[in-house]
Amino acid sequence: MILAENTRARNARSQDVQSDNNPFAGSDHVLRQMTAGPRSALNRLLGGQEAPLEAPVPRATKADAASQAMAVNELREIADYITKLKRGIAALRAQELTRDRIPMAHDELGSVVAATASATNRIMESAEAMLAIKAKTLDEYRNQVEAHIGDIFEACTFQDITGQRISKVVEALGQLEKRLSQFSTVVNVRDGEAEHDPEEARRKARAEKLMLNGPQLKGPATPQDAIDALFS
Amino acid sequence: MALDLGMPILVVDDYQTMVRIIRNLLKQLGFEDVDDASDGTGALAKLKTKKYGLVISDWNMEPMTGYELLRHVRADDALRTTPFIMVTAESKTENVIAAKKAGVNNYIVKPFNAQTLKTKIEAVCGA
Repeated sequence: MILAENTRARNARSQDVQSDNNPFAGSDHVLRQMTAGPRSALNRLLGGQEAPLEAPVPRATKADAASQAMAVNELREIADYITKLKRGIAALRAQELTRDRIPMAHDELGSVVAATASATNRIMESAEAMLAIKAKTLDEYRNQVEAHIGDIFEACTFQDITGQRISKVVEALGQLEKRLSQFSTVVNVRDGEAEHDPEEARRKARAEKLMLNGPQLKGPATPQDAIDALFS
Repeated sequence: MALDLGMPILVVDDYQTMVRIIRNLLKQLGFEDVDDASDGTGALAKLKTKKYGLVISDWNMEPMTGYELLRHVRADDALRTTPFIMVTAESKTENVIAAKKAGVNNYIVKPFNAQTLKTKIEAVCGA
């Protein structure tokens, strides 16, 4: 009996000490109250049931209420951000891009390269054949040249088909650009925050070191005349 | 000094169509002894086994670029005097200046025509 009374008294003192010295005393209830809104939002977002608040909410001071409201707002913002992120990812339709559009663009460009190479070869074969004509009469020469010119005209029909293929690729790139632009607006992430791909970094470093700038749009950056002036 | 139409010429380009175009243009100019390589490494190997009167090289190739090939050629006592023309789509002034500093004899920007190629060969090899 005496032992039981001593234990109760010790427990009571211990609780007093906890509530006096521990700033987080009772924080479990506060945290539950603070996260109620975002938890509810997250539950809705994830398609689950709203979890009931298990414990009654204790009376809070004015300062506690202000800090709780602030925390609830922050958590709501996080929940909203996650909701927007989820919508952004869905709008990206990444599977459609990787399954259909990008392989299609790859195949179309491959076909363009093959078609232009094939047409160039046909044209060059015709030109080489014309250079090698050994005709006995002018009429014979003319007939042979005209036959090769016909081949060249036929070979040039590649342009119409490759034009259509390139239009499809341009349209796919436009879609990709639009979706990525929308996604980057939603997630609000700048390029510098992403980690660099080491392979891409190696390629860029090589291009920079060896001055691999490639062809310039709308003709050469330095006209041949200006280059000639440097060597005169 | 007249052009030596018998001099061997090495054409270096990773795009076989371009090699074929330059070969045909050279043939029209009267050059018959034309070899080719698809990058700087292959070109260096050929340059060490045969004396060429002219190298016509693209810039952008892998693994060894035309610019690296030029620097190797100019650093090699046996090859340093070989005339070297760069034929490339790299048209930025920094490229032209870098090539000139490295010792290129002339520089042609793609796309080019037969007359430009002829004029440059004459300027480099002496007509």
